[in-house]
Amino acid sequence: MAKESTTIDVGEPSTVTKSSSHVVVDEKQKKGIVAAAAGGGYKRGLAIFDFLLRLAAIGITIGASSVMFTAEETLPFFTQFLQFQAGYDDFPTFQFFVISIAIVASYLVLSLPFSIVTIVRPLAVAPRLILLISDTMVLTLTTAAAAAAAAIVYLAHNGNSNTNWLPICQQFGDFCQATSTAVVAASISVVFFILLIVISAVALKRH
Amino acid sequence: MKNESTFIDVPADSSSAMKGKAPLIGVAKDHTASGSGGYNRGLSVFDFLLRLAAIVAASVAAGTMFTSDETLPFFTQFLQFQAGYDDLPTFQFFVIAMSLVSGYIVLSLPISVVAIVRPLAAAPRLLLLVLDTAVMGLTMAAASSAAAISYVAHNGNQNTNWLPICQQFGDFCQKTSGAVVSSFVAVVFFMILVVLSGVALKRH
Repeated sequence: MAKESTTIDVGEPSTVTKSSSHVVVDEKQKKGIVAAAAGGGYKRGLAIFDFLLRLAAIGITIGASSVMFTAEETLPFFTQFLQFQAGYDDFPTFQFFVISIAIVASYLVLSLPFSIVTIVRPLAVAPRLILLISDTMVLTLTTAAAAAAAAIVYLAHNGNSNTNWLPICQQFGDFCQATSTAVVAASISVVFFILLIVISAVALKRH
Repeated sequence: MKNESTFIDVPADSSSAMKGKAPLIGVAKDHTASGSGGYNRGLSVFDFLLRLAAIVAASVAAGTMFTSDETLPFFTQFLQFQAGYDDLPTFQFFVIAMSLVSGYIVLSLPISVVAIVRPLAAAPRLLLLVLDTAVMGLTMAAASSAAAISYVAHNGNQNTNWLPICQQFGDFCQKTSGAVVSSFVAVVFFMILVVLSGVALKRH
């Protein structure tokens, strides 16, 4: 084909032209930054909420573990043969509860740096995915501890006539109250964990 | 400053080579989209298969616990020598919860199929992830509370004078323990499902 010649004759760039092109690039960069900040801002808000939830969950799990740990009661009367003391270590399930809720509390403390990373870098995927996976595992551990302890607490409150298991709460009122409080606190932390997982999932979702 | 004029004189008819270049870029884009869609589709198929396995695990757990009755061959006028799941409220909760879980997984199968057909859609996956997390919590609660009661039934508790009933009701204890193990398997399946949904959400 007939190729017409192309003459590109760029003159000496004036400062005006230079600054205008710089502005164009700046606008484009600005648009990119705004777009990133808009998606990043939304995710940053989620990350901050995630961090606050973790702090609340730390408080609650430490509270649950320590309440169960200190749930001892000694009845004011005694005989030579019968035991009138109740403590968390009389029940293997409560021992499991104290140990696993303590593990959960330390996991939460260790996961705080990851949460801070997601605040600082809201568009990073790896920390969120790590948090999602480890939160899922810790959720199952917390639920296991809370539910097992709840079953034993229910048994202690109501007993079971078919198996002749007597309700011990009728004698050990304070002990039962403390253990019930610990179970309720652990259940609240389960709800927090579910929220944390949902937040991580929503933040992982790309727009 | 000196403002010199700028001439840019582009030929009127662009060459066919330049024309032909543009669509290729579009084709390249399509290729990458279907690439990540294929990976997501693989995850969705695995998710569907895991759900089928979880249905089996959950319904086996519920069924085994439901039919775990045992009557001892001897009897007296006053004592009860029957054991069934409805003698223990925790086991009742277990049966109801595992049945609910099996029903939920069956109902979530269509959503999983949608995720296979549309591998890049985020809404079904996010919905599945949220529901799976909640149901996983329910399953784990049922499983571990039944495990705690099974433990007491096997070992008793000296401090509270709770006698281990498994020494008389061997079959009952065996079936309930099997049901508990099956429900823990269902929990593991759920964990994998949640992580799968999270990974698939990440890749778009």
